[in-house]
Amino acid sequence: MTAALNDEQEVDSTLRAVLRDVLGLPEAQVAEFDESSPLFGALPEFDSMAVAGLLTELEERLGILIEDHEVDADMLESFGSLLTFARSKTLQ
Amino acid sequence: MSAGGLHYSTYRVGGRDEWMMRIGSGPALLFLPPLFEEMNRTRALLAAVMGTLAGDGLSCFLPDLPGTGESERALEEVSWQDWRDAAGSAFEAAGACASVSLRGGALLDEAAPVRWRFAPATGASLARDLSRAGLMTEGGGGYAPSARLLDSLGAAEPAPGKRVRTLRLATDRAEADLKLEGPPLWRRAEPQSSSELAEAMALDVSNWMRSCGVC
Repeated sequence: MTAALNDEQEVDSTLRAVLRDVLGLPEAQVAEFDESSPLFGALPEFDSMAVAGLLTELEERLGILIEDHEVDADMLESFGSLLTFARSKTLQ
Repeated sequence: MSAGGLHYSTYRVGGRDEWMMRIGSGPALLFLPPLFEEMNRTRALLAAVMGTLAGDGLSCFLPDLPGTGESERALEEVSWQDWRDAAGSAFEAAGACASVSLRGGALLDEAAPVRWRFAPATGASLARDLSRAGLMTEGGGGYAPSARLLDSLGAAEPAPGKRVRTLRLATDRAEADLKLEGPPLWRRAEPQSSSELAEAMALDVSNWMRSCGVC
């Protein structure tokens, strides 16, 4: 693993790429996500297996480690909440 | 038994016969698939890679590990050692000279003197995936491996070797001999394949096996 990313925009684009790749969502749909776009419970593609894949892909691509106790429905609720979490792990 | 270029044979492990599928004829490669749900998600990708290599004069064997696919054993009763034994036994039964593994399959390729790996995963990260899949649902995901298997899995690492080639996706930050563009198909809930990725994988396998004198 290389050093963690340190650019806010890069975390944003990495998160969008992971959502595309893991959930198989169209690029245009993911590009339109804003902070309030709901995720877990709102997208049929986003089931519990997808949560596992999403977290592991984020770890691999951002060079971070996510603990189980950090994972809950609030953190996965919206694009904004997930982005805030990813940034806090990456930019610390 | 054969149909449409597919041949089925068996290998023996734990006192039972388990199935393996073969495509093509020629120098034999043992394919070791990803584990658990990822296995189903990448079946089409592996079959595409095997088909391309078969056209290149190689025979490609894909075993059903005990407790998976057509195996008559229940996954709950299978131990990590059973899977290690299965990979070794399948390697011999196939008369293989090299292995091709994807993700968790790389944890089982020790028997092969020449090993090609795509996106190898540590047992710890696979065990974490399984437990995470259970975090958001009551009772866990669709797979019920024994606690004993999970313990052993969590400690498993791809074995080092002299003739090991590792490829990863361009999006993966871990080290690799070569990185390929493509989607992480093992994450997709709906099984999919990518013909571009399958072709790029098959080409690299073929070149690597030639450079190692396997074929």
